[in-house]
Amino acid sequence: MGKLAHSDVVHLLVQLSVMLLMGRLFAEGARKLKLPAVVGEIFAGILLGPTILGTINPHWFQLIFPVPSTSATVLSGFVQAAVVMLLFIGGLEVDLHVVLQQGKKALATSLLGISIPFFIGFIFPYTFPDFFGIADKQQRVVFALFMGTAMAITALPVIVRILMDLNLFKSRMGLLVVTSAMIDDTVGWIIFSVILGLIGKGHSVSIGSTVGLAIAFVVFMLTIGRWLLNRLLPWANKKLAWPGGVLSISLAICFLGAAFTEYIGLHAVFGAFIVGVALGDSEHFTERAKEIVHQFINNIFAPLFFVSIGLRVNFFTNFDWLLTLTLLTIAFTGKIIGSGLGTRLGGFSWRESLAAACGMNARGAMEIILGLVALENGLINERVFVSLVIMALVTSMSSGPLMKWLLKK
Amino acid sequence: MENEFKKIGLAIAISPTAQAMLSEATRLALLFNSELVLIHVASRLKENENKLNELIHQAKISVPYSVIWRTGNVEQEVLLACDEENIDLLVAGALKKENKVKHFIGSIARTIMRKANCSVYMVNNPSIHLQSIRQVVINAEDSPHIERAIAIGCQLAELENASWVHVVRELKMLSLTLSANRHLSEPEYNERKQKLVREEIQAVEKIMEGIVHKKTKVNIKVLSGKSGFELCKFVEKKKADLLVVGAPPQRLSLLDRIFPHDLEYVFGDLPCNLLVVNQPKENG
Repeated sequence: MGKLAHSDVVHLLVQLSVMLLMGRLFAEGARKLKLPAVVGEIFAGILLGPTILGTINPHWFQLIFPVPSTSATVLSGFVQAAVVMLLFIGGLEVDLHVVLQQGKKALATSLLGISIPFFIGFIFPYTFPDFFGIADKQQRVVFALFMGTAMAITALPVIVRILMDLNLFKSRMGLLVVTSAMIDDTVGWIIFSVILGLIGKGHSVSIGSTVGLAIAFVVFMLTIGRWLLNRLLPWANKKLAWPGGVLSISLAICFLGAAFTEYIGLHAVFGAFIVGVALGDSEHFTERAKEIVHQFINNIFAPLFFVSIGLRVNFFTNFDWLLTLTLLTIAFTGKIIGSGLGTRLGGFSWRESLAAACGMNARGAMEIILGLVALENGLINERVFVSLVIMALVTSMSSGPLMKWLLKK
Repeated sequence: MENEFKKIGLAIAISPTAQAMLSEATRLALLFNSELVLIHVASRLKENENKLNELIHQAKISVPYSVIWRTGNVEQEVLLACDEENIDLLVAGALKKENKVKHFIGSIARTIMRKANCSVYMVNNPSIHLQSIRQVVINAEDSPHIERAIAIGCQLAELENASWVHVVRELKMLSLTLSANRHLSEPEYNERKQKLVREEIQAVEKIMEGIVHKKTKVNIKVLSGKSGFELCKFVEKKKADLLVVGAPPQRLSLLDRIFPHDLEYVFGDLPCNLLVVNQPKENG
């Protein structure tokens, strides 16, 4: 194992400390304003990054976050692991049992909630690729497919929180919306992994076999993999220290799944997501264990990731108000029409359907992760990424108040 | 409370457990003041008839009873007989656990549990020595038959002078709901967690408002996790004698065994005797 120089160790530890402290400080500020923590954490990153600190005092910015440096590479590794873990808990949140029990009822809602935003999100970037900031003109279809997926995805934790605040979580509508969001996320990540397979940069495996392997991976993890986990976890619960044993094993399997999908030409996040779905479905992965995993990742790694977003990009120089406004319009239109129609088909009134659609319009952390992966793979440029982050934040912040307002009318 | 089971059916085969099954069915018929219908699927040969009559004679059935002979596929004929005879409760015996192949294909007992249109009382490893029911666990999950299941479970507990009725409710998607609340402070977080439990207890209390349970003590228990799995664990922990569940709204399929439905955890590994409560017969 390589060894970091003394100065790199100091830099890395200071970076982690500053990121966690500032992330917490601004997350608390957001909490006071009744905004999601992610808003505060991203703002902390913007403050520490090239947008504000880098502009006001480049010396201090370079002192804390020197680039290029070994500490920056290690930090990037931390962030990469954080993304993988975030998708892992994203997968844990998908309750296959609820999806299967609600399946038929939620299918129309989720299908329309995916297909209409996907179509609108695809058609405009495909027709006007330059306006939407295509990074590689050879990849016009892939770029448009990505934009479609970005419009189709939904932020499950944001929706759950809104539904709980409105006392609707356990209602018929709440269950429909939550199940649809779970299906949306699963389908969204599968489509996205195929898109990344279509880019196929730096991988020696062909597209056909990549897609085939992806399907095989999903089927394996949800059948034989799930069966194996159901044998492994009771052993870990019984023989190993708790919760250390189950935590180590679950994260080890998460990283292994992530490494496998990365190897076959998909992104690591896909493997982590599917492993999360399979593990979360095991009756031996207790709610207490899930809660600990959630707390550990949500409070340590999630802030690191969201703060790093602001460190990565200059939000001021890359801010394009027209593009942001267009993306927001497409995002709102697609989801509200798609999910609204879907919920209406589920037997709800127009007003309730509109409220549910506003809830499902929240894109949250998943959108930001999706955008970052696309940015790293050269599918979008920084201008589009900034607009996507803003769109994710605006949709997440507006969905609760809009839903409340519609249901009170 | 009116008699819930006017006609009790017993799927009986000439087997070493037949005597025990007859005793169990007679006990239930006595408790509910019901008529007993013995359903026997076999060719009506003199030899078979003699064997069955001998069994009935030994069992000293002390309630009105009749015998129905059918031929053909056992599970199909038993289910058809239940429909034709307007059986309210079908009693059958089952092994605690079956091997994996049988689990996915479906044994006779499990097929009856999954497909019966009436309520089913499944006797786990039948024994000639009848055990009185001391602890009853009722699954208070969202089912169209939840109220009826709780009412019948309590009625049975009262009739059998059981000491405890545990009404179990699942706290759905607990980790997801808690992770969505990461913006809360520790007291707020704990309060939110307690509120979730309180809401479930209140929901059960509301269902139980009109249900009589004078002698039996009732404990409402909220569980989190895979509800069917946690339910079985709870039943085993309490050493319960009877588990009462509502029938699912739709018939369970193979998919419900691959991605287990709550009840498939129970059907797959019976923790004790099981009563699956279905809708009442229209003329019942």
